[in-house]
Amino acid sequence: MHVLYLIFVDPFMQMAHAPDLLVQTLWDGLVSGVLYALIALGFVLIFKASGVFNFAQGIMVVFAALTLVGLNEHGVPAYLALAITVVVMLVLAVAVERAILRPLVDQPEIILFMATFGLTYILIGMGELIFGGDPKVMISDQLRLPSGSYRINMLGGFVQLQKIDIAAAIIASIMVAGLGILFNRTRIGRALRAVADSHRAALSVGISLEQIWVIVWFAAGIVALATGIMWGARSNVSFALEIVALKALPVLILGGFTSIPGAIVGGLIIGVGEKLGEFYWGPLVGGGIESWFAYVIALVFLLFRPQGLFGERIIERL
Amino acid sequence: MASDIGALDTFPKLLLHHAAVRGERPAIREKDLGIWQTWSWSQFAEEVRILACAFAEEGLKRGDHMALVGDNRPRIYAAMCAAQCLGAVPVPMYQDAVAAEMAFPIQNAEIGHALAEDQEQVDKLLEILPQCPTLKHIYYDDPRGLRHYAQPQLASYDRLREIGVEARRRDPDFIEREIAKGTGDDAAAMFFTSGTTATPKGVVLTHHALIDRARAAAEMEGLTDRDAVIAYLPPAWIGQNIFSYAQPLVVGYCICCPESAETLMTDMREIGPTYYFAPPRVLEALLTQVSIRMEDAGLIKRAMYRHYMEVARRVGGAILDGKKVGFMDRLRYALGDIFVYGPLRNVLGMSRVRVAYTAGEAIGPDLFKFYRSIGINLKQLYGSTETSVFVCVQPNGMVKPDTVGPAVRGVELKFTPQRELLIRSPGLFKEYYKNPQATAEAKDREGWFHTGDAGYFDADGQLKIIDRVKDVGKLNDGTLFAPKYLENKLKFFPYVKEAVAFGHGRDRVCAFINIDMEAVGNWAERRKLAYTGYVDLASRPEVRDLIAECVEQVNADLASDPELAGSQIHRFLLLHKELDADDGELTRTRKVRRGHIAEKYAALVDALYGGKDSVHVEAQVRYEDGRTAQISADLAIRDARTFAPSAARKAA
Amino acid sequence: MSETEAHGARIGAPILAVEGVSLTFGGVRALSEVSFDVREREVRAIIGPNGAGKSSMLNVLNGFYQPQRGVIRFRGREFHGMRPRAAAEMGIGRTFQNIALFRGMSVLDNIMVGRNMKMRGNVLQEALWLPAARREEIEHRHAVEEIIDFLEIQHVRRTPVGRLPYGLQKRVELARALAMEPSVLLLDEPMAGMNLEEKQDMCRFILDVNDHYGTTIVLIEHDMGVVMDISDRVVVLDYGRLIADGAPDVVRGDQAVIDAYLGVAH
Repeated sequence: MHVLYLIFVDPFMQMAHAPDLLVQTLWDGLVSGVLYALIALGFVLIFKASGVFNFAQGIMVVFAALTLVGLNEHGVPAYLALAITVVVMLVLAVAVERAILRPLVDQPEIILFMATFGLTYILIGMGELIFGGDPKVMISDQLRLPSGSYRINMLGGFVQLQKIDIAAAIIASIMVAGLGILFNRTRIGRALRAVADSHRAALSVGISLEQIWVIVWFAAGIVALATGIMWGARSNVSFALEIVALKALPVLILGGFTSIPGAIVGGLIIGVGEKLGEFYWGPLVGGGIESWFAYVIALVFLLFRPQGLFGERIIERL
Repeated sequence: MASDIGALDTFPKLLLHHAAVRGERPAIREKDLGIWQTWSWSQFAEEVRILACAFAEEGLKRGDHMALVGDNRPRIYAAMCAAQCLGAVPVPMYQDAVAAEMAFPIQNAEIGHALAEDQEQVDKLLEILPQCPTLKHIYYDDPRGLRHYAQPQLASYDRLREIGVEARRRDPDFIEREIAKGTGDDAAAMFFTSGTTATPKGVVLTHHALIDRARAAAEMEGLTDRDAVIAYLPPAWIGQNIFSYAQPLVVGYCICCPESAETLMTDMREIGPTYYFAPPRVLEALLTQVSIRMEDAGLIKRAMYRHYMEVARRVGGAILDGKKVGFMDRLRYALGDIFVYGPLRNVLGMSRVRVAYTAGEAIGPDLFKFYRSIGINLKQLYGSTETSVFVCVQPNGMVKPDTVGPAVRGVELKFTPQRELLIRSPGLFKEYYKNPQATAEAKDREGWFHTGDAGYFDADGQLKIIDRVKDVGKLNDGTLFAPKYLENKLKFFPYVKEAVAFGHGRDRVCAFINIDMEAVGNWAERRKLAYTGYVDLASRPEVRDLIAECVEQVNADLASDPELAGSQIHRFLLLHKELDADDGELTRTRKVRRGHIAEKYAALVDALYGGKDSVHVEAQVRYEDGRTAQISADLAIRDARTFAPSAARKAA
Repeated sequence: MSETEAHGARIGAPILAVEGVSLTFGGVRALSEVSFDVREREVRAIIGPNGAGKSSMLNVLNGFYQPQRGVIRFRGREFHGMRPRAAAEMGIGRTFQNIALFRGMSVLDNIMVGRNMKMRGNVLQEALWLPAARREEIEHRHAVEEIIDFLEIQHVRRTPVGRLPYGLQKRVELARALAMEPSVLLLDEPMAGMNLEEKQDMCRFILDVNDHYGTTIVLIEHDMGVVMDISDRVVVLDYGRLIADGAPDVVRGDQAVIDAYLGVAH
């Protein structure tokens, strides 16, 4: 009886008791949600357009951030380093297309997935080799990213909003909007969707698969770079960041593997859910909700709505 | 409407009026290549002028007839008006007629000019060209597939237009002069009634008749130039002409031509017509589609649908009729409107429908009430080609499922002792073309038109049409026996596919019934009744009980009508095979051929009246793929409960 | 001039030809020394028993396979192997035996993808919906709508292709290939799995395309009735070899062809 009270009543009473804490928790959840969403976005882009589940997306985030910081450490001014990193991501995209996608174009998807596994470890190796294995600090100041926080008095207490988080939210929104326009309104976007569906058919109408793949991996690379900058600004730039990328999987299951809005909504739901769960229900179970909550939600979705909230319902014509 | 309408006694004059008074308003819309293209009244009038000049150049003279074959397209309607400008008579023909059927009208009216929509129609005309020596000009609208056709008679619409533009340049006032020569008594159009027994007859309607009737109905319903209609029924049908040509030209509203038959639903949704007509089978098909989609919907949706349709069934019709309804019920209905009825109307494309008519055949009361219950103002009307359609129309507030309404302004009705309906109206046809004998038979010397329909006025003074006069018989006690009326009542049940009633010259009414394989099959499966085919299913006692229930409901209904109470159905049997046009039992339009059936199944009829409990039958059945098989069955005969007149309530 | 005569007079010089084409995969000889030509504006059928190499032939023409030996000649230029994109750019369009449509996209989008090569706009213009991009979109949409009208698929233009019945999917595939404005259309069993009425419709469309757009058609077909009805010349393959080439009624009576279909060893 008391247990039921603790689970179903007490947390809500706590929420009502200190609404400013609730808002703070919600905000924190949204922020981490945005970052999950960005990582998931990278996955969605590549999956949507080349049918490949890119295991290396997480490491691409780290790699991009490392490149940026590493260049700066070697004396390259911040914005130039940023530009060079963008170019590096383009080179990476071209390299991936030439070395992995082109030779494996007709292979089953599982082979391509395994290839991205390989890519992950190549990038880890390269990263360690070139930049060393120590955690680094993101060059937020040099990039003129806002620092500090806003303190808002409300609801009987106060809420602290980190400026960097606000910036992250804004940048993420801009990126999502841009990608949305790209996919739906341009000829490239339509070609992207076509390639995602059928390589053979796309070839037969003269679409250059190579070109599309480079574009998509480059876009994913840019998203990874943005994610790396944002996340690195909040914590550090280290290989541990790659683990966070695994959280993207439940986000994808929740939102659908092929939906950009799904990645956003899924990310936000998971982010907020985790933080709320940890803060209000965590004490009941001794903490640690944050590490598994996302996966529980994903499991539930797999049972009832496997295509996710926004994914396409696959209707098999028998 | 403008006060000088008396002078606008022909359609071309009306067209010029609209071009002057509301030139910028839309007259005709057509969905082409995915978007709606609009012609304003002034644009439409201009096209008509150009076409009329072209036709004149091509030799079309006053009094000539011109054939129009095709689907609803602005150009067909433009051609109709253009012909009328010159005092010629357009003859719209059914686009799905076979070539042989098109020969007679062309010969009868000595048609020299024809506008065909596309290659299909052109091919048909070319096929009968040898039999139609008068046909010298065939114009076509859609050039697809016609590039290599080299026949001298052929010319494209574009070519025609070029000729017209040139002619108009040379004599700009020619058309206005020609239009001025026309009067209301001139023939406006000719429609051939599809003769099932004899040769078709060309019904000649004058401008005055069509305009008068169009105006009478339009005033009754308050139609304005803001109304919109979707033109989807065959232009050769008088109803289509009234709704999409005569009335628009009288009132000034806009007609919309859909892209194709398959896109009709989508197009209707996009246009949102305010004034709509559909024959009962179309309404039925729409309802079936909705039901099927409902079965696919999720649990919540289905529950909401069921709940609110129940509310609608109870009070919807009353609300639409403006009757008193309790506050709570009104609230429920309003909620239902938001969740169910509104979206339903939207899906059907009828969100903006103010007036919807149905006519042509009997409509099932449930179907009729369904549409009214969700807020669609569906009403019945009665009329025919010979009467320019509007004879009786149900006004708002006097809508019932089993009548067709009181007479429209200007119409006089009376009955012969045999209960045949006679009509006198300004909308009556002038004559059957070149057929004075048929004309004299139909219109007597005092101007009464003999409709051939039998009926009577009900207690509210509304006309009730029962059957064709020649099919109506009498039981031995003098009771009115209207077989088609009874058969229709039976066929309204989904389990009954076809029915044949016997009773003329007999003491009581008995019937053959065909079960509907699909509906009864579903019913049987839900009750875990196994069956091996039509014959097996029809011979089951459970199925007989099911049908008996339907028959008894019909009987209860009949009992409440003093004229028909004596014609309740006493005995019936379920036939071992479906009646088929291929076996000569039905006509191609699925009408029952009573005489032939009575002969062929005389043994069964005798058994019914002989009081037998069952009868043995041997028959040869032909399957769809051509194979034949012998069927041998014992058909059980079942008595049905009948009710005392007027004292009956609906059977449980 | 009768319709058939008029049609015959329109057939031009050879536009596409293969010479001595041989194709092997992993030990299996799919094609051996196949040579034939295709004249402009004609309807050329490729027939033969199952496994005769018909699809392989089409794949060679279209660039999905590169032959080990032999050349492909298109409009006078010689190739030792095509690439699919090059083939598409040169005006060779194609449909597939088991339908390769973009299942998640609507019919309209599928056909618009077919216009891809004809579109010139750049990404920025399109994203910002500048007037130039708008004009281009309208122009292409018009072309696509004409094709939709031509193939009578207006009523499903917004339906996701995966939901359409088989016959309509085949028609959409044809529409997409047409959107490329091809000079040669390779149809791989366009009527497979259709009932009689659908086949008649498809035949009509193919002939209309040939007539209206002047497109040369090369089609693989099993139904002899269809072949006799609509093709001008026929190529017969068996075990990768060309065993007959000529007018349909000539080929039909050819003993080698009869033997091949009956499975007589030769």
